[in-house]
Amino acid sequence: MAPVSLIEMNSIYKSYRNIGFETEVLKNITLHIDEGNYISIMGPSGAGKSTLMAIAGCLSQPTSGEYILDGETVGELNDRKLSRIRNEKIGFVFQAFHLLQGVTALDNVILPLVYSRKYPSDIKERAREVLAKVGLEHRLHHTPGQLSGGEQQRVTIARSLINDPPIILADEPTGNLDSKNGIETMKTFDKLVQEGKTIVLITHDLQVAEHADRIIAIRDGEIASDSKSI
Amino acid sequence: MRIIKNCGQALRGLRLNRRNTLLMTIGVMIGIASLTVIVAVGFGVKVKVLNRIANMGFGPESFSVLAGAGRLFFSRAKNTTSMTLQDVEDLLALPTVRLVVPRQRKPMKIINKKEFTSTRVYGVSPDWQIARGWQLIDGVFLSDEDMDRKKKVVVLGSTPARKIFKNEDPIGKMVRLQNSYYKVIGLLQEKGLTESGYDPDDRVLIPLTTSIARLTREKHLHSIKVVTWDVSQVPETMEVVTQILRRNQNLSVFSEDDFRFVTHEGIMEWVTKAAQAMNRMLILISTVSLLVGGIVIMNISLVSVRERVKEIGIRRCFGARKMDITLQFLFESILVSLLGGIMGIGLGFGLSFGLKLFDILPTQITWQPFVFSFIFCTLIGLIFGIHPARKAALMSPEESIRS
Repeated sequence: MAPVSLIEMNSIYKSYRNIGFETEVLKNITLHIDEGNYISIMGPSGAGKSTLMAIAGCLSQPTSGEYILDGETVGELNDRKLSRIRNEKIGFVFQAFHLLQGVTALDNVILPLVYSRKYPSDIKERAREVLAKVGLEHRLHHTPGQLSGGEQQRVTIARSLINDPPIILADEPTGNLDSKNGIETMKTFDKLVQEGKTIVLITHDLQVAEHADRIIAIRDGEIASDSKSI
Repeated sequence: MRIIKNCGQALRGLRLNRRNTLLMTIGVMIGIASLTVIVAVGFGVKVKVLNRIANMGFGPESFSVLAGAGRLFFSRAKNTTSMTLQDVEDLLALPTVRLVVPRQRKPMKIINKKEFTSTRVYGVSPDWQIARGWQLIDGVFLSDEDMDRKKKVVVLGSTPARKIFKNEDPIGKMVRLQNSYYKVIGLLQEKGLTESGYDPDDRVLIPLTTSIARLTREKHLHSIKVVTWDVSQVPETMEVVTQILRRNQNLSVFSEDDFRFVTHEGIMEWVTKAAQAMNRMLILISTVSLLVGGIVIMNISLVSVRERVKEIGIRRCFGARKMDITLQFLFESILVSLLGGIMGIGLGFGLSFGLKLFDILPTQITWQPFVFSFIFCTLIGLIFGIHPARKAALMSPEESIRS
């Protein structure tokens, strides 16, 4: 028996229905990602990268096909179990940060713990540690509006790490950053892989993509190439 | 545990969306306050009107004949001049009649040196005191001699006495009505305000003959009060009175009465009808004000949730279940309703109390409008706060974070 992959997608199709016509965004995606992999998904805009990530992150369901995450068939799970997977197994990092406005960095980082089954008593302590890890120990009580883009991105990374998920899904994490902050962010991801996380990076920047061990190119909703990075 | 955490998130949500929280709270507050004030004023007016009517001193064995055709207090013809002292004499001759009190009435200023006040001046016969059973605290009541000699004497109710004499003893003093001076001979016992604010003590009494000769300078009477010996005699007496008055006034069989009766029974019937009409009006006004308040709350809720779809999406991405979102918004709605409700009750109570205190409108504070408006506003808040939140929670998290 072949070793079970952490992320296993078999013939995934996804289409959106707009009034009258259907747009097929993903076509026949078959993809296996093992634990500890560092993967980039590349492609021009509109290729379906973000949709692929949404499916991988259980944020939306494929139209057809089978998605097995850590041994669980996602299509069969109810809202409670899907929420638990998002909470415990996946950490999201978004291009647009998606922080709660007006909420301090500390409280933004705590958010996943609010919905966690285990609610550690040292919740603030843990959030501080994670923020220190991304170098924001001096910005705990700042709200997103008071933080620079790079700092906001680091808050979202801290938020994705607080619940110690095995998988980090990052959608264009450097898209809104200048090159200096972009390099900093990529260093953080490189470090996380060394700690054993599985990282899926979505980007259209080849330099960013080359940090990964494996680059998957998507074009028009299909996998165009799947190669080891040099 | 989960409930406490969602409650905490709700508090945070309210703090973050201060503007919407404030608007919602104000909406609920104004809805509840306006309803309570409207109902309080409605009840107050109703009680005042009913009390005034009930306090007119109608025993069941008496009735009044008022000049002019019409129903109860609403005369169709003004200045009907047909009722005279001759009628009074004829009525007194009836065996079933115990007392007949003719009356003229005129609102007027009463003056003591520099002090004056507006009051109601009644020209009455000495029997008035017996018919009303009203005691004096000082002096004497109008006598037959005062009547015969058209004396310029006056009996004061306690309100005008207090206003123009302050702490002085009014007995024996002179007061001015129009251009003549009248001697104060008696002081009526104080009855006190009715609970609705009607003041039965705001009156002065002079002999009817004096009133006819000097004050109104009119021969006709405004009303006659007839007291029978027993309640059972009232209907037959009214019958005979009708015949006598029609004969005295030479009314042909084709013309209708130019006078009307006010009976204890008639008043009670009218009071009941008036109360029903006012109740219907109150229900209508309350419904309208609740609807308006409800629509305000509904709109703010809808807008508020729509603005927060992205927040819902973010929460969903990090493990919030649909249930968590619903609970959070449920708590937010409950908190806003509670806060607005408490403020609304406070405001409504304060306004109602203020209106009464400063004598602007009579108000009667009851618990029902508070409870009903509170439940209604909370329900509206819940339905229109939760339904869109639930809809947002049901969207896939991907869609909501992109919105």
